[in-house]
Order: sequence, then structure tokens, then C-alpha cells
Amino acid sequence: MNKPLLLLFVALPAWNFGDSARAQSIDYGASELLFGEPVTASVTGKPQRAADAPANIEIITQDDIRRSGATSIPEILQFIPGIDVRQTSTGNADVGIRGYNQSSNPHLMVLVDGRQVYMVDYGRIIWSAIPVQLDEIRQIEVIKGPNSALYGFNAVSGVINIITYDPLKDHLNSATVRAGTGGYLSGSAVGTGQIGDTAGLRLSLGGFRANDYPQGNLSAGDHQAREAPFTGTFNADGRWQVTPNVEVFADSSVGDTRLPDQAPPGVFQTETLVGTSLRAGLRADTALGLFSLSGYRSDARVSIYDIGLAARGAVALGEYQTTYVFEASDLMKLGADHSIRFGVEYRRNADQSGSLILGSISNDIYSASLMWDWQMTPTLSLTNAVRVDHLLLHFTGALLPTSGLTNAAYNATTLTEPSFNSGLVWKMTDEDTLRLSLARGVQLPTLLEYALQIPAGFYNPLVSYAGRPDIAPSIVWNAEVDYDRGLPAIASVLRTALFVQRIDDINSWPFGAPLSFSLVHAPVFFSDNVGYSTAAGVELELKGHSESGFRWNASYALVSTTDHTPLDQGPVLTGTVDYAHSTPDHVLIGGVGYTRDKWELDLRARWQSSYLDFRLNPARRALQAVNIDNYITMNARIGYRVTDNLTVALSAQQFNQSQLVESAGPPVQRQIILSVSVHL
Amino acid sequence: MPALVTRPANAASLSAKDLQVLGRAVAFLQPPPASGGVLGIAYLAGNPASLADAEAIAALIGGGLRVGNGTLRPKLVEVGSLAAADCTVVIAASGANGSALSIASRDAHALCVTTELAAVEAGLCAMGLKSEPRVEILLNHAAVAATGIEFATAFRMMIHEI
Repeated sequence: MNKPLLLLFVALPAWNFGDSARAQSIDYGASELLFGEPVTASVTGKPQRAADAPANIEIITQDDIRRSGATSIPEILQFIPGIDVRQTSTGNADVGIRGYNQSSNPHLMVLVDGRQVYMVDYGRIIWSAIPVQLDEIRQIEVIKGPNSALYGFNAVSGVINIITYDPLKDHLNSATVRAGTGGYLSGSAVGTGQIGDTAGLRLSLGGFRANDYPQGNLSAGDHQAREAPFTGTFNADGRWQVTPNVEVFADSSVGDTRLPDQAPPGVFQTETLVGTSLRAGLRADTALGLFSLSGYRSDARVSIYDIGLAARGAVALGEYQTTYVFEASDLMKLGADHSIRFGVEYRRNADQSGSLILGSISNDIYSASLMWDWQMTPTLSLTNAVRVDHLLLHFTGALLPTSGLTNAAYNATTLTEPSFNSGLVWKMTDEDTLRLSLARGVQLPTLLEYALQIPAGFYNPLVSYAGRPDIAPSIVWNAEVDYDRGLPAIASVLRTALFVQRIDDINSWPFGAPLSFSLVHAPVFFSDNVGYSTAAGVELELKGHSESGFRWNASYALVSTTDHTPLDQGPVLTGTVDYAHSTPDHVLIGGVGYTRDKWELDLRARWQSSYLDFRLNPARRALQAVNIDNYITMNARIGYRVTDNLTVALSAQQFNQSQLVESAGPPVQRQIILSVSVHL
Repeated sequence: MPALVTRPANAASLSAKDLQVLGRAVAFLQPPPASGGVLGIAYLAGNPASLADAEAIAALIGGGLRVGNGTLRPKLVEVGSLAAADCTVVIAASGANGSALSIASRDAHALCVTTELAAVEAGLCAMGLKSEPRVEILLNHAAVAATGIEFATAFRMMIHEI
């Protein structure tokens, strides 16, 4: 059957002949249909039903995304228990899992179909620059807690893997236009073309523009430093079934993004980012298991406009970041009860900047991992995964004389760290599942924590800011007990989690570190390890839906953190590491929804307790703590399916307040958005 | 697309949902069954209850069982005649499980499917399934291998094997 394919900018024909494609990679659609629940490979690298995974995982489906009325991924995430979202501008936010959130949060790993999309300078996520449209997302997998044994360094507070539809197996053609208050305007188009079950190509294009948030209690200078956000991204994703057992894939993206944000020292600024990525690989179902080989390269050219710089006549800061990754793995089943996965990886991250680094910093990371899953009995399974990462650091350029550091010290820096994840899953009854897990994760210092070079007179008249090569990685330990129970009488599932965590050798930015003196006796704010922190928490969630079309969810999350650092123990604020106060302890989330015939209605609310954020005072001389009061945000969406192909929806984000102070930045605006979606 | 006819659950040893799960699971065979292939419903000769169950299953299936983008045609087959029936998949009606069906399906390279998990555990049938309260699929590793059948590795990772 021929199906004409319509795209805003590109036209491709789509045909589908013959039988369904051989299942080489995970066939998410067919698997979900079969088991009646989402499947994932994000927890262990092995395809699993979500309920069988040995970790706390939440899966957000495309239906969830649509019903949320959200226009960005952070807006979707804020209603997941255990996730803290601090909106910084339209489309962007600082996101943390189970506490430890901060400006340019480096603790969260985010991937699209397994490819990392975080920025290597600060280890942060620029959500609006991720080259994926909401319509092309099959599911968003949120794994809470460390998962370094599979993903390596930096997967310490959690992992978010955005899974898109398969261009070979899924026929997705859509276009969506949105317009709303605050000058919001967006458009996206996704088109898929297939040649039988042999080859498939998906193209997606989209972007938005919006006004910036109002000034609120920002200084005039800080407000002026922020420019209106926009983004435009393009992505191509192709698969080719070369033989019944071998699949080749490739994807490429390009994006142009501008966003107002807040750098770690509390400086308000505007960034522009032009990013590209290219990946290729193959998967084969062989007699020796599922073999996967891939390589990718991504880069980003970043320019940062800081009004303070402009006032001093300085040029905008600029960076050029690159990442190369080559990875190979083999997943095999040994007999009936054992699965093992071997993996090797080489990764190179580099950041080049004549203004922030005075040169180029890079790390080469060589990794090997092993996962073993043992189905001990029909109701009891044990999974163990270990990984070793070996890093070599490189620096070329001019180091600040005041730092007393040498290129040789950088180039001699190596480190080797193991990580592991262990999980026991016991299906006590058809309705009860108990999960025990233990993990050791490793948070590498970011490239700027290693190599930032800001001379005296730039931000501070007397003191320079510098990274150090000998800053140790943070080690994160996590122990957790999860209990899930089905409640068929009320068509619901109860999920509970209890966890404890410890972070040793917390990394602090130069901007958030105490003053010290270098080997040449100059005052310097160095990157530093500043003690340890412990946390404990609870998550309770009840979620269900009825056959009559109702759905509901309610959750409570608590995280209680205690820091053991030398920072902020005097009258003067000396650092931004204050995890005990910098994430809200309590979060309540609730939602109801109803679908009847062509109508869909969803309401949700989120309340969080107060917390402490940071910014520089207007004179840019010292840190200033800002108390963020507790607040509630309410969202709603009503959708109407005009025809089988056309849907109209009206959504309101934060309809309960016109402005909401969520951080030390400007207040977040209420947003009313009308959307029109066409699906073919 | 052939429709499944809804019947009371006790009219057949497989429910409509069981058959739906069967069709979706079989799509993970490598290679997947060709459209138009035969779905045998095996019954024990001389056992009226077995024949009645086979007929009830056939009635539930109707014109065919959806497997991926194709359809398998149901056909009642006496266990002793399975070798000549050219079946891709064979459902064991009640009473049909036993060494005779096990040997016949193995020789015919047909995947034996049943809701009697004890038969799978005993190696008499290759695949067992249930759809309530949760979809569960059980494969007898040795029985599958003896039949010369292969499932996609990703599928084997998501089900139970013994």
C-alpha cells in the first residue's frame, strides 16, 4: 500500500510491503504490544520489561507526553516523582534527580537513543538544543540513582534516555504548530519513509521562539544580559536491514539555539550554540549473541554574552566542544538462566576556548564493562554489572601564572575508577515485586573544573579562578529498596522506594570554592573537593487508569540531605555547594485525566517546599543566597480529535499564577498554548 | 484483518487474549512465519473433550490468527497426522499434550504452544503462555532447539526460559 508522505520542508514517499522486519534491535512497538507494558534496555543493556528491570525506572510514554500539554522535555519531567526541575527560560531548566540539583547540574546523564547529549564544559544539559521533536519520542526512560556501570562517568544521580520511534518499523508522519502567550511560537514536522522492511529514514525538523521571562527581582544589568530564546534543530535517522540478521544505522543532526541562562557563579548571560552530531553503527544477531558496534562525533560552538563583559569592552566568551565515542558490545544468553554483556568504549571529550581555558582541555577515557544477569528462579533474578574507566588528561595552552600549575601536571594526570550496579528482583506474587539495589557511581570533574582559567580583574579585581588537574572525582554510593504492588481492585499500581546515598569528594566550581593560595602565593579560587554529603529519601506513588477512560496519579517524594563541607560556615557565603538546602525536601504531585470519545482532559499539580538558590549580588563581588518559597504549579490540557488525523489542543502551564519564582533567576511566566497537530 | 470471535472464557482452553499474545510472540520467530501458513490445533484422537476444545479454539480464531503483518490459517489436526499437516505453529488443545505431540511437532519443525505450563516444564511442548494477570511466556530451551526453531535474541531476553 502506497502512502503519500507530507513534510513541511522535505517530501519522501513511504511504502510498506511484506512481513514485519526481523527483530535485530529491540522492536519496542511489537514488544510493548506483546507484554502490555513498555520495554527498555536502558537499565542493564539487556532488553527487559520495565517491571523486571533491577532499578527504579519510570517510563513516560508518547501518550503521557501528549496529555501533558508540555512544549519541552523539562516540563514533562517535573511531574515525575523524585525529579526536581528549575526552569531557567522557555524550553530550558536545571534538572536533578533525588536532590543535588544546581545551576548547570553535571550529575544527570541524558541520552537520545543511547547517544549522550550533555555539554562537556560544565557537564550540563541544554534541553532546547537536543535535536528531537516531542512527536518523534516513543518514550522517555528515567532511571533514578547511579548507573555508571553501564554508562560510565557522570551517570550518578540518574539517567534519562530519550527513545525515538524506529524509522524501519514505525510509520510516523506528523506536523504540529503551537502558538501562545509570552510570544511563544513553535513548529515541528516528522516524516518517515520506508522501503518495505528493508530500509527506513525519519527526518524531523522543529523549533520555537519566545519572549524571555520578565525581570522580576533581577538587577537591570542582569535582565539586560538575557536575550529572548529560540531554537531550530534538524535530525535524520536511518536504518537498513542489510541481511535478516544485520542492521546498519546512522543518524545526524544540526541545531542552532539561543538561550538566556545562569552560569554556575550566578552570572546571568545569554548563550548561542550551534551543534552537530553524526553517528553510524551496526547491530547483528549472531550465534554469539547481539553484537553492536557504533561510533559518533558531536560538537558545539558556544558563544556567551555577558553584560559585564560588554561593559568592560571584552568580547563574548567562546568555546568549541567536541566528543568522540566508539563502542562495541555483545549481549548473549547462556543457557536458559544467564545473560551476559561485554562492552568496550573509547571516549574523547574536548573543550577549546581562548577565553575560558586559554587553550584546550581534553580527556581520553578507555572503558570496559561486564553485565551478568542470572534468573535464579522463575521469580528471583540477580543482576551485577561492573565497569572500569581509565582516563588520561591533556592540556595545551597558556595557564594562568597565578595558578602555579604547569602543562606537565595536566598531561601527567590519569585516573582509573571502577563502578558497579547490583540489583535483586523478587516477584513475590503476581502483584508484588521487591527490588534491592546497590551502586557505586563516579562523577568526573567537568572539563572546566579541570581547566578553567579566569584571570584577576575579569570577575574579581584581585583573585583569579582556576581549575586543577588533581581534583578527585566524586564517588557516589546508593542503596535502595523498592516495593511495587498491583492493586487490581482499583486498577492501580503502588510504587514505593527508600534510598540512602553518599557522595564523597564533592566537586566544587572555582566560583563556588573557598579562597586559597597557589604555589606562587597568589589568591585563587580553585576547583576543589569540598567534603562529602549524605542523603536519604522516600518516594511513594499511586497510579492507575480505568477502562472507562479515567486516569490518576498521586505521589510524594522526600529527600533529606546533610552536607559535611567546610563551606558556608562563617558570615560570608563561600560556595554554592549547599545541597542540604539547595533542593526542596518535599514534593507532592497529583493528576487526573479523562478520555471520552474525541475529548481528552488532563489536570496536574505539583507542590514543592522551599529551598535555597544562589546568584551574584549586583556588584558582582560576592555570592548571595536567595530563598525560594514553597510554591504550587498547576497545568491543564484539553484536546479534541477533530478527525483521525487532526487534533486541536489548548494547554495552560502554571495557570494558577501569572508569575512564579522557581529560582534565583527571573520568575516563570504562565503560558497558554494552542496547538494543532496533523498525523498521517 | 481477520477478527477474533469473542466467546465465554470457559468455552476454550485458550482465551481471546491468549491467542492475541500467541500471535504477537510468534512474530518474533526467526524467520517470522510466512503469511498464509498453517496454524495447527492439535487434538487427541478418540478424546471427545480434546476435539471439542480444539473446535472451540478454532472458532475463537475465526478466519485466521494475526502474526505480524500476516495471518496463519487455523486447521484442526489429529496429533497422529501432524507430520503431514505442514504446520508452522501448533496449539495443543486440552488432552493433546504428551510425548506423541512432542515428537510430532519436533519432527514437523512446528512450534508447539500450550497454556499448560507443566507440559513445557516437562519438555513436552516448546512454549507456554498465559495472559492474565500478566503476560508470561515460558520457553523450554531444549524443546525449542530440538524443533530447529529460533527466536530473536532480544525476545529471549524478555521471557523465561527453562
